[in-house]
Amino acid sequence: MKMFVCIKYVPDTSEAEVKVNPDGVTVDSARFSFDINDADNYAVEESVLIKEAKEGDITVVSIGPKQSDVMIRMAMAKGCDQAVRIEDDRIATHDPLMVAKVLAGAIKGQEFDLVLTGCMASDDGHMSTGVALAEELGVSHASMVKKVELLDGKVRAHRELEGGLLEVVELELPAVLTIQTGINEPRYAPIRGIRLAQKKELKVVNLDELGVDPAVVGLDASKVVLEQLYIPEVESSAEFIEGEAEEKAEKLASILVKGGLV
Amino acid sequence: MSTESQTFTEKYDLLGCIQCGRCTGGCPVTVRADLNVRRFVYDAYHEEKLEELARLAEIWDCTACHTCAVRCPKGLKPLEVLLGLRTMIIESGKVEPTVRDALQSVLLEGNPWEKSRAARSDWMEGLDVKIAEPGVPVENLFFVCCTIAYDPRVQSVAKNIVGLLNKAGIDYAFLDESETCCGSEVFTLGEEGLFEMLVEDNTELLNEYTAKRIVCLSPHCFTTYKTRYPDLKAEVIHYTQLLEELLREGKLVWKGDLQKKIVFHDPCYLGKQGDVYDEPRALLKSIPGVNLVEFERRRERSLCCEGGGGKMWVESESKKERLAETRIKDAKALEADIVAVACPFCVLTLEDAMKGLGYEEEMRVAEIMELLGEFVEA
Repeated sequence: MKMFVCIKYVPDTSEAEVKVNPDGVTVDSARFSFDINDADNYAVEESVLIKEAKEGDITVVSIGPKQSDVMIRMAMAKGCDQAVRIEDDRIATHDPLMVAKVLAGAIKGQEFDLVLTGCMASDDGHMSTGVALAEELGVSHASMVKKVELLDGKVRAHRELEGGLLEVVELELPAVLTIQTGINEPRYAPIRGIRLAQKKELKVVNLDELGVDPAVVGLDASKVVLEQLYIPEVESSAEFIEGEAEEKAEKLASILVKGGLV
Repeated sequence: MSTESQTFTEKYDLLGCIQCGRCTGGCPVTVRADLNVRRFVYDAYHEEKLEELARLAEIWDCTACHTCAVRCPKGLKPLEVLLGLRTMIIESGKVEPTVRDALQSVLLEGNPWEKSRAARSDWMEGLDVKIAEPGVPVENLFFVCCTIAYDPRVQSVAKNIVGLLNKAGIDYAFLDESETCCGSEVFTLGEEGLFEMLVEDNTELLNEYTAKRIVCLSPHCFTTYKTRYPDLKAEVIHYTQLLEELLREGKLVWKGDLQKKIVFHDPCYLGKQGDVYDEPRALLKSIPGVNLVEFERRRERSLCCEGGGGKMWVESESKKERLAETRIKDAKALEADIVAVACPFCVLTLEDAMKGLGYEEEMRVAEIMELLGEFVEA
């Protein structure tokens, strides 16, 4: 089973305050911590579980800065075999189609059975890179996958739909699966494993070395213009009613009456 | 620290064990979990059994309080056998998500609380804190601790000591956000590789500062630096030792009094492991009006609060009474107004237990530094 797993290095915005830079289209990331995108972490684990069950070879593909090497080494410590990191400022990374074209450039021309991605990136939330990647590679895809069953020459994917429904689809291999969180329990990458993974190949390339025309994946090629990032204004707020039970009930009743709700 | 070629038996000196049972006899966890450390020491001699032993849930019940090590007549550390078994699980990668996330956070952000490194010094905001500079000699270099730096409940330990140090006029400095986890819990969770890396990196970082002493606010950092960092140039002490010294020199001045009955809970990492028992008591006794009473289980026999040994990230399967609850009930029986501690983990576990038991109205759990902050003239 020859696999590729595409991962993204994203900021954790849950702890630090998000501030938009004066340019209006980027955020100040100085106080963020960065890590592998959550859903991609599950995709890595799923690829390793498949490798453990069926044998195989996994290549990590990522677009990102040098700092993301630690994330890639962690994936290799868990069982991925080699990696390609693409670093090039000319990529219009705000546009998932452009990102998909670059990722496809790293995969095309090589034999593969499965490409796994996370179903969504936690920073821009497009949910479309994996799907676009399937199109670029000319193979089928299944998105939001919660369970993977490998059959002879096919993969049966259990997809999560709205309202708790699951849809089961069978795809011919090769295929792209976008993995939903919760499909497995990602393992820990112990330091000794990360150190051993230093011996595995991590190729760092730019667009020219990848053989992707910068004009095809750059700002001019993108049909998406990032116009503005902003923090939504607070339009309503919650009020906490303090006091003893009786007092609270009285205040609540008064608010409801004043608001014309009773 | 072991070399890879050592066998498990050699590494933990298993043949040195005489199976006297003093380890299990003193283990505080046995009242609520099926942990029998003596049995593990016995069974671990059979290398072929190690994987099976490592899969037993009770290896995660140990709080690394070191009672077994203190009691062992042969000077062995039975608990470390359990930590060695944890290492086998850690290296397989298949650990509880809470443990995984804490360890990964230490690697990526230098703390186990999944907080950004950039926010490590946020507690200093608005305070006049002296920051250490590499190569500039400093008498007392402070090491804050991840929990005190990030957890708002215990940040006052660091904040209050700054006010006190400025007032006492002593030579001190704090590290900026370059301060990185000492690895106390990394070690006890069994992540040997990460701990080795922290020892290497922190030794290099701390030795860059020409400090006479490293003063730790948490007993976990204190014991870890003192016993597991062989190449640190500076002497390592706990803050209660420094303050007791200032007290003797007459540099601490009290305002008002505290007419309260206080019982001091010996943190395992300060007492059993750090051999510091008298200094925190001296500080408490010096506060005018304080009536200091003692638990029946105190000093070397102090009951563990279950906050150490990585237990902040591993929940025991046992539903029996938590040791922290036992401790709070003991304090209640003594009619103590305040349970004083000198460890951030003890604050968190004992306070949870106190709230769970519904004693909030009549009792308080306080870090010594919280009390001093309220009663020292600053």
